[in-house]
Amino acid sequence: MRNRIAVYICHCGSNIADHVDVEAVRDAIAGEEGVVLAKTTMFACSDSAQSEMIEDIRENDIDGMVVASCSPKLHLFTFRSVAERAGLNPYNYVQANIREQVSWAHSDKPEQATEKALQIVRMAVAKARLSAPLTPPSITSENVILVVGAGVAGMRAAIELADMGSKVYLIEKDHYVGGRAGQWGNLHVPGVKGEGLVKDLYEEVAGREGITLFTGTEVISSSGSVGSFELTLRRSPRYFNPKGIDTSGSEFTGKVRKAVEACPEELDDDYDFGLTARKAFRHSHPGQFPDLPSVDMQACTRCGKCAEILEGVDLEQEEQRVTVKAGAVILCTGFSPYQPQEGEFGYGEIENVISLQEFRRMMALSGSGGRLLFRGRPVNTISYIYCVGSRQLEGDNKYCSRYCCSAAIHTANLVREKFPGVRNFHFHRGIRSYGKLEELYEISCSEGDIYFQSRDDELPEVIKEDGETIVKIADILTSGRDIEVGADLVVLVTGMVPRDNSRLVDVLKVPVGRDRFFNEVHPKLKPVEVVIDGIYIAGACQSPRNINESMNSALSAAVKSNSLVSSGEIELEPTMAAVDRSLCGWCGECARACPFDAIVREQYEGKEVAAVNEANCKGCGMCLPVCPVNAIQLTGSSDAEIESMIEALIDLK
Amino acid sequence: MIWMSTITTGWGVISMARIDHTFASRIEMFGGIDFTACYNCGHCTAVCPLVEENASFPRRMLRYTILGMEEDIQSSLDPWLCYYCGDCSETCPRQSNPGEIMMSLRRYLTSVYDWTGFSRRFYTSRKWEFGSIAAVAAVVVLLFALFLRPTADPSGLINADGGVKINSFVEGMSSETFVSVIEIGDWVMAAIVSFFLLSNIFNMYLKVVVRNRKVSPPLSLYVKEAWNLVYHFATQIKLSKCSDRTYWGLHWLLMSGYTIMFTMIVLFLPWFQVEKIHPIYHPQRFLGYYATFGLLLGLIVWSVQRIRKSGEKHRYSHSTDWLFLVMLFLTTLTGILVHIFRISGMVPQTYYTFVIHLAILVPMLVVEVPFSKWSHLAYRPFATYFYNLINSARMLEEKKKK
Ligand SMILES: Cc1cc2nc3c(=O)[nH]c(=O)nc-3n(C[C@H](O)[C@H](O)[C@H](O)COP(=O)(O)OP(=O)(O)OC[C@H]3O[C@@H](n4cnc5c(N)ncnc54)[C@H](O)[C@@H]3O)c2cc1C
Ligand code: SF4
Ligand code: SF4
Ligand code: SF4
Ligand code: SF4
Repeated sequence: MRNRIAVYICHCGSNIADHVDVEAVRDAIAGEEGVVLAKTTMFACSDSAQSEMIEDIRENDIDGMVVASCSPKLHLFTFRSVAERAGLNPYNYVQANIREQVSWAHSDKPEQATEKALQIVRMAVAKARLSAPLTPPSITSENVILVVGAGVAGMRAAIELADMGSKVYLIEKDHYVGGRAGQWGNLHVPGVKGEGLVKDLYEEVAGREGITLFTGTEVISSSGSVGSFELTLRRSPRYFNPKGIDTSGSEFTGKVRKAVEACPEELDDDYDFGLTARKAFRHSHPGQFPDLPSVDMQACTRCGKCAEILEGVDLEQEEQRVTVKAGAVILCTGFSPYQPQEGEFGYGEIENVISLQEFRRMMALSGSGGRLLFRGRPVNTISYIYCVGSRQLEGDNKYCSRYCCSAAIHTANLVREKFPGVRNFHFHRGIRSYGKLEELYEISCSEGDIYFQSRDDELPEVIKEDGETIVKIADILTSGRDIEVGADLVVLVTGMVPRDNSRLVDVLKVPVGRDRFFNEVHPKLKPVEVVIDGIYIAGACQSPRNINESMNSALSAAVKSNSLVSSGEIELEPTMAAVDRSLCGWCGECARACPFDAIVREQYEGKEVAAVNEANCKGCGMCLPVCPVNAIQLTGSSDAEIESMIEALIDLK
Repeated sequence: MIWMSTITTGWGVISMARIDHTFASRIEMFGGIDFTACYNCGHCTAVCPLVEENASFPRRMLRYTILGMEEDIQSSLDPWLCYYCGDCSETCPRQSNPGEIMMSLRRYLTSVYDWTGFSRRFYTSRKWEFGSIAAVAAVVVLLFALFLRPTADPSGLINADGGVKINSFVEGMSSETFVSVIEIGDWVMAAIVSFFLLSNIFNMYLKVVVRNRKVSPPLSLYVKEAWNLVYHFATQIKLSKCSDRTYWGLHWLLMSGYTIMFTMIVLFLPWFQVEKIHPIYHPQRFLGYYATFGLLLGLIVWSVQRIRKSGEKHRYSHSTDWLFLVMLFLTTLTGILVHIFRISGMVPQTYYTFVIHLAILVPMLVVEVPFSKWSHLAYRPFATYFYNLINSARMLEEKKKK
């Protein structure tokens, strides 16, 4: 029982004091049992106020502390650290939220607000009285990190981690690394091609001893938790073994080409979105690494024609399972371009309507000079329809895909450079070429591209009339007038959707948002963390983003995960569930209720009981109410503490 | 190229427009520069001091230009309601020069109103521009060379006051006859100029009032609003709304000088062009000096500003802007010289300078007034007249509906 408690009531400038009579709250709380010091303060979080608190605690032998101020989300850790610096156990500190829950919510009723503030502070004092000093437990961890997905984000993270001294397993589902960045040819960074960027990253990855790269590999199961995940990987064979073969010369490349020609099995090349065909025996595209052939067993009939030509082809290779231990995992599984629905803006129905990804592959594959042709017909005018698959009024993709305004404008600029004379028309819903990308927009406008804007609920239409494809729009930049533009080619500026990764989500229990992208804990405070400790997300699997932004998040995930595992020890929050083994008889209710798989079964004095995996427990409290014999308590929010708070609340006259 | 189908609804006219992206490059020939950079923010319209409730410019005009919505531009009065304060160009975050687009559209509209097609050639081809001026000048010189050759004996051409007898150069032609001949020339010229100008104004009327079809003003309104013509012609009051009011003062000075001179020459030639040199306080001399001063001051200041490219208004100069300034300047200069030579009794100098003076003045008036920059002296007041006419008609209709 704490009985030397200090209470601080914060004005928060005028934020609280304008609507809550803080002096009155202070006076009322001063006489509360156990309170030896009650003060008001202009800004509790200011340096001077913090120093004053530290002095107070030391001089008055304080053993419990309450600050009535803003939400604990904002400053719980600030004041815990104040307590710690003053020599008080940080868990004897309790925060009372009288800003978000009182002054802001009840600015119209100052009297009742003051009353409510007092109730909340009294509850906090009651809790502080019963609060126990806690010591955070710690667990050991491996300085090993598994990076899933070897696109630009995954490779960037792996390189950074290796440089910081972590051991890295970089796994890639495909037989080639690079992800999507290599598909687009010229990127909107002056002078940089996607292929070149991927090549540079790949060479850096290959040059680092600390990185083990597994291609053709996926995570199929996982156990353990932060500090020591145990992950089972499935490696599907490449069906080509480069050992002892010189794969660098032109002779090798020539043979690979012949082997590809000899392969009789043909299928759509998904790297080119079906614009071209490839064989079951295939070679890397420019921008994919390593520069080695592989066999797509889905299409291969094992006829053996490739093996006849190329040494090293081994159709008998078998799938392998590898188990690795890792302290943390970073997911960099990327995105897919949105695939327009049949009939969406004429897609699939009008032959000259294509998606941006298809157009970019076309551009990347076509040589320079000459005229721009589409299905053999010259293209003089291109219309781009923005936000396809993004910003949907109906449908789940409510989000803006961020990259696409700039990518479309950049594409138009590329077209104009490569094929002078081609005219670009943009049908957008408000251009979002943010930051430095604005320059692309400025160039495009100055060079004569024409922009039209529609309202979200009055989208443009693509129709075919007398053999001509026409885009119609009610253009808000021209007083809402209906305008028609004939187009030789219509490009749908498609957004980003996450890759279909249901197995991974299942295995690692990664939280996904309504938009199906991976969800961070908090966009500002914990931007690369997910609610599962030890799992980080980066790149376009988290939300639509361009390469620059993907790299940024990859670097922060690398730093965050490294700082978590590199010391070999991880400190945990002590506020978690604890089982009273003498009461527990293992009914399993708690295990079913726990969303984090934190309850395990163990033997205790000849009976089965529940035990808490400390590394997994989040202290959410879901298990407490379901236990029929009340055998589980939440450290830091024990029944006694909560009951005393309720008492304090209803006791008030 | 432009394709419009018009659907009339109960509310007015909604038209489906097909864009014409080649129009923008045509407007560049009339002077438009860098305007495609516009991103429709509307700052220009927000800062324009001349925007009114029913006249929102220049953004919309820029937009129409970029999209090539020619019919909308041709039926609009907005370009004439803009007086090129230049605030818009100064404010534009994209340096799209909206003010210069309005100027270019005035040139374009001048060419559109002109049914002969000459104006378009004049604006878009240097050859036509200089060729036509030279041709008219040659006609003037030729007429003098054929019919008004100077006498071989200049001895009787000096007045008692020592000045040159300006009306007695021609052998066997009395002073009265000479003045009458010049006066007839004046009238012929005025008739030609008026014919073209008035027919072009009629064309403008058809485009902005009749074909616009949004309103049909009753006859009484035409009369009621007619004061606009005189008032705006005489005061150019709209110019005074620009932030730089000295420009208005200077413009008014030049404009009044020009009008006085024109009136004296065309309407009162026998009074103006007399053998006798009047004393300095005589209104003929006094008005002449005033006009000369107004013209000179305006011309010098504007030329300097155009050379220095000072302010948005003078940053860009189309060749026709320079031609206008140079022709008017030369007219004024030769006029002054004729006057000096006359007073000093220099006979041949007076005669030849007089011929040169007319060889500049006549093409300037014949070509510039109906077909080029001078036409704004009529289009501007008429635009305000039509604008008020349409607005009043609209109000009338609304009242009737109620
Ligand atoms: C048409 C178009 C043009 C673009 N142009 C530009 C541009 O000019 N500039 C720019 O900055 N950005 C551009 N972008 C955006 C850019 O492509 C992305 O920002 C970038 O590719 C994201 O990188 P990433 O590594 O996060 O994801 P990705 O490139 O998608 O890579 C993810 C990788 O993870 C792998 N993977 C997925 N799931 C698993 C799994 N379960 N197990 C193992 N591996 C897995 C994938 O195979 C892939 O290799 C463009 C995008 C498009 C669609
Ligand atoms: S970035 Fe542009 S095109 Fe893409 S969804 Fe956002 S607004 Fe639409
Ligand atoms: S407190 Fe939450 S996370 Fe911990 S064991 Fe109980 S239900 Fe699971
Ligand atoms: S030049 Fe002046 S009057 Fe003309 S649109 Fe611009 S601000 Fe308005
Ligand atoms: S201020 Fe410039 S960019 Fe903005 S609408 Fe006007 S002309 Fe366009």
